[in-house]
Amino acid sequence: MAPIASSAPRLGDLERAVMEHLWEAALERPEGLTVREVLDCFSGQREIAYTTVMTVLDRLAKKALVSRVRDGRAWRYQPCDTREALTAQTMRRTLDDMDVTDRRAALMHFLDGASEDEIEDFKAALAEIETRRPRLGLRRPRLRRPGKKDTA
Amino acid sequence: MLVALAIVLACPVPRVMARLSVLRSAPRAALFAWQAVTLSAIVAAVAAAPAILPLVLFDGQAVWQHFVVMCVAGGVSLVMIGRLLLAGHRIGHRMRVMRTRHRELVDIIARHDSRDAALRILAHPTPTAYCLPGRHRRVVVSQGVIEALNERELVAVLSHEQAHLRARHDLLIEFFSVIHETVPALVRSPAAMSEVRLLVEALADRAAARRAGVPATTRALDVLAGGRAPEASMAVSAAGMAPVRIALLRRGWPNPLLSTVVYTYAAALLALPCGLVALAWG
Repeated sequence: MAPIASSAPRLGDLERAVMEHLWEAALERPEGLTVREVLDCFSGQREIAYTTVMTVLDRLAKKALVSRVRDGRAWRYQPCDTREALTAQTMRRTLDDMDVTDRRAALMHFLDGASEDEIEDFKAALAEIETRRPRLGLRRPRLRRPGKKDTA
Repeated sequence: MLVALAIVLACPVPRVMARLSVLRSAPRAALFAWQAVTLSAIVAAVAAAPAILPLVLFDGQAVWQHFVVMCVAGGVSLVMIGRLLLAGHRIGHRMRVMRTRHRELVDIIARHDSRDAALRILAHPTPTAYCLPGRHRRVVVSQGVIEALNERELVAVLSHEQAHLRARHDLLIEFFSVIHETVPALVRSPAAMSEVRLLVEALADRAAARRAGVPATTRALDVLAGGRAPEASMAVSAAGMAPVRIALLRRGWPNPLLSTVVYTYAAALLALPCGLVALAWG
């Protein structure tokens, strides 16, 4: 298998890097980052064009991984969920898919052929872990600050 | 004759085959036989209408009557083929879209592994492992799996998934899913579908056992299936597939004689509808 790292970074790689920067910044800057600020995060690591960052953020927004809010003349981008919340969501969805025949075939599980009871056990375990660990999810403040017109 | 054969192949035969647990000892041959049954049932069903033609064609009736019969016969076959192709397209497309979406998401949220470019590790304590087949293949495991298993058992899990990817088991499952959805519900057999799933898993288990050994593979299965809820529902989940798969691994490698018998049976199944068609036209 070819190694993923190559001299020309692929779009998927960049999406991940951008998400990582947004997640990192989310604690201190819950209002989100502008394209320029995301670009600044890459300074010293990678040479990327402003437009590339814009494209990547646009793709992430289409995938509903980031949301954007108008801030003056610029857009601010913020992650829709924390990485932890997304991971838990993904896990739950893959288990849900094991109930439906053809969706189940899309992902081939190690325990494929699990009985209904086994899947139920699985989901119970998942739910238990989630209640034990309080969700670290960002309480999305919907960033509709007074005084700023939302032209979205 | 062909109609009868199609019905027999679609209904009682799979039911009997699903019950024959001897077949599970030779998963590769058994899967071949399953494909043979399915294919020859389709050939019989599709060929049934055109096979009537020679009977009516040469009995000296008016030309327009021949034309009507031919249209009806051809139409029935065309409808069947069309339904198959349509279901194939629909299911295949849906699966590919889901896989692509899931892969893109996992690529972003999961940790990448420096040694294996296709491996993704989800930071979650619930043990789970699966693979995303296709052109951009991925093996996904959760942190829970890494913590629950030792090195050798982990190798077993990864080899199992890689066996799925390498042998394109997804295409096999897709083929059977398409047929399963197209066949009228009356003659469909869910037992056959789950038997095929089990055989595919058994095949990948064997690949895992070749790499990591039978004990590590059975332990990995045991931990991932039963280890989650030690006190609850062990009795219930005994009906699940994991214990069956463990038993199959312990049973050892297939007897060559059994494989030969199963392969011969499959070949005979394939020859049957073709022979009948030849007979009808001969």
